[in-house]
Amino acid sequence: MLLSDFTVQNVAAGAALLGVTSGVLGAFAVLRGQSLLGDTLSHAALPGICLGFIIAGSRHLPSLLLGALAAGLAATLLMFLLDHYSRLKTDAILGSVLSVFFAVGVVLLTWIQGQAGTAHGGLESFLFGQAAAILRGDLLLIGSITVAALALVSLFLKELKVTVFDPVFAATLGYPVALIQAVMTMLVAVAVVVGLQLVGVVLMAAMIIAPAVGARQWVNRLEHMLLLAAVLGAVAGVSGALVSSAQRGLSTGPVVVLVACGIAFFSILFAPGRGVVWERQNRWRSSRRLRTRQLLTTMLRLSQEHSDSDYATEEGMLNAYMGLGTRRALRRLESDGLIKHVVHMPEEGSHWMLTGAGREAAERVLRELGRQ
Amino acid sequence: MAGGSGRLGKGVEPAVRHEPDLAVHVEDLTVSYHSAPVLWDIDLDVPPGVLAAIVGPNGAGKSTLIKAILGLIRPAAGHVYVLGRRIGSVRNRVGYVPQRSTVDWDFPTTVIDVVMMGLYGQLGWIRRPGREHRRRSLAALAQVGMEDFATRQISQLSGGQQQRVFLARALVQDADLYMLDEPMAGVDATTERIIIDLLRQLVARGKTVLVVHHDLQTVTDYFDWMLILNVRVIAQGPVGEVYTGENLKAAYGGRVALLRDAGTKPAGK
Repeated sequence: MLLSDFTVQNVAAGAALLGVTSGVLGAFAVLRGQSLLGDTLSHAALPGICLGFIIAGSRHLPSLLLGALAAGLAATLLMFLLDHYSRLKTDAILGSVLSVFFAVGVVLLTWIQGQAGTAHGGLESFLFGQAAAILRGDLLLIGSITVAALALVSLFLKELKVTVFDPVFAATLGYPVALIQAVMTMLVAVAVVVGLQLVGVVLMAAMIIAPAVGARQWVNRLEHMLLLAAVLGAVAGVSGALVSSAQRGLSTGPVVVLVACGIAFFSILFAPGRGVVWERQNRWRSSRRLRTRQLLTTMLRLSQEHSDSDYATEEGMLNAYMGLGTRRALRRLESDGLIKHVVHMPEEGSHWMLTGAGREAAERVLRELGRQ
Repeated sequence: MAGGSGRLGKGVEPAVRHEPDLAVHVEDLTVSYHSAPVLWDIDLDVPPGVLAAIVGPNGAGKSTLIKAILGLIRPAAGHVYVLGRRIGSVRNRVGYVPQRSTVDWDFPTTVIDVVMMGLYGQLGWIRRPGREHRRRSLAALAQVGMEDFATRQISQLSGGQQQRVFLARALVQDADLYMLDEPMAGVDATTERIIIDLLRQLVARGKTVLVVHHDLQTVTDYFDWMLILNVRVIAQGPVGEVYTGENLKAAYGGRVALLRDAGTKPAGK
């Protein structure tokens, strides 16, 4: 059994933590319309990891993660300054900070790798993630970060909610909105730090976005969205990590991301109430209903105009009036017992007549329409 | 009241009150954005208990004025006193109803949740709203005729319903001064009637209401006091005195000089 393996247990636990933090903390970035913040902060983490390695002299995880967090802080500060003191729009700010930091990171990484004689520390594993690199001690660090971040979110949930939904109104209540927004950005940096080892710098953005987007399709309240995002993230993390452990040569990051994105796409398509497929079905169903109602009222009006309660309507007339083929809809009405097929001038085509039930139904529809 | 435990905002009341008899007192207010002034040399004295309109052409600075009064924008010059004090110490006595477009209505939350946000200022940090807050929020929704919509998802609301939810959110604060930014723009006739009736009730109870109004035609029907604004104050005062062809032409008729020519004086000031 895969899970009885010690390494795999570590991986699964680390992946679960990753999924939970990126789901919950990423939700705020997504709701703020800053989904690519995860991309910027994760790419910005690379120079931080390298600097942490250089300063610590070895692959000492707390140093690396501290470096990543510090780089995230620097990137956040730079983004804030660019936002307030330049005319750049948000997407340009995110893009430029991402590129600059990542470029510095790659320069540092290749420099480290080029150092003859020193241990590389396998830092390139931070680019795409490596499941096997997680040690049990690492889990303690990552776990405590997760708990702290979730506690913060839970305590200040209403402050976060009002700041994301209506920051101007929050300011009129007296909240320090800029500070709260900075904290939300730093929380994304924390999520990035938690997930870096497993998913890597390049693809971390997807973990920030996908679970939250997926969760949003199924629920309608922020509290539920955060819970569901945590679950979906954990599921994606664990299944991705297990799959990449079971199979040689599979990088963990991409597999986890594929699962997470698969969940998100499935949700976007099939979630009831918001899903694309659901919406199309609903629209089709209501236009079908509209057609049958129109047929009933048309037949009733015709029989009224001809002052004949047993008036047999020729199908051709209905086709002309509706502007399309009515056979299918007529058959539906027939199977519902609202009309019946009658033989009347068969050489001219099918004729249909309202039954007693059909007459009542048609009158009801007309009454409803008259009321509108 | 000075900030008790859990209240947001400044806790200490300044000893000196400035123009306590005015609901809003603005002096020399100037706000600039990049290189041009959006508001210039604004002197505004709003008496208490009026239902006041702020009108002016697009780009006149009406929303900016509201935000400057609320302390959301730092002015280049001038100062603002609300209810005789600086805005920081009276936040719990001022209710703000922003334009509907400022918010993403796809946010996952319900109508009652949004209304309860109006009470967050009184709750302070961390504390969650309880049953009493929920009851007051439902009462505010009832005032705008939306109590049946309490658990409705906000994305399912029409424009008029959204506006009424924002109004309820401000009402639940039970403020002394209400500031609304184009509340009747783009709403149906029923909603407009509900809003104006509600505003009249507030004024009858002694509140002051300031409304950035989009429709010049209805100013004389709805309001008793007005400010005509186009970057600078064109005129302010009771509607009967200020709503004149001369003043409206000065505001809406093209470029507005920041410093008026010697010898001419806008009427009503």
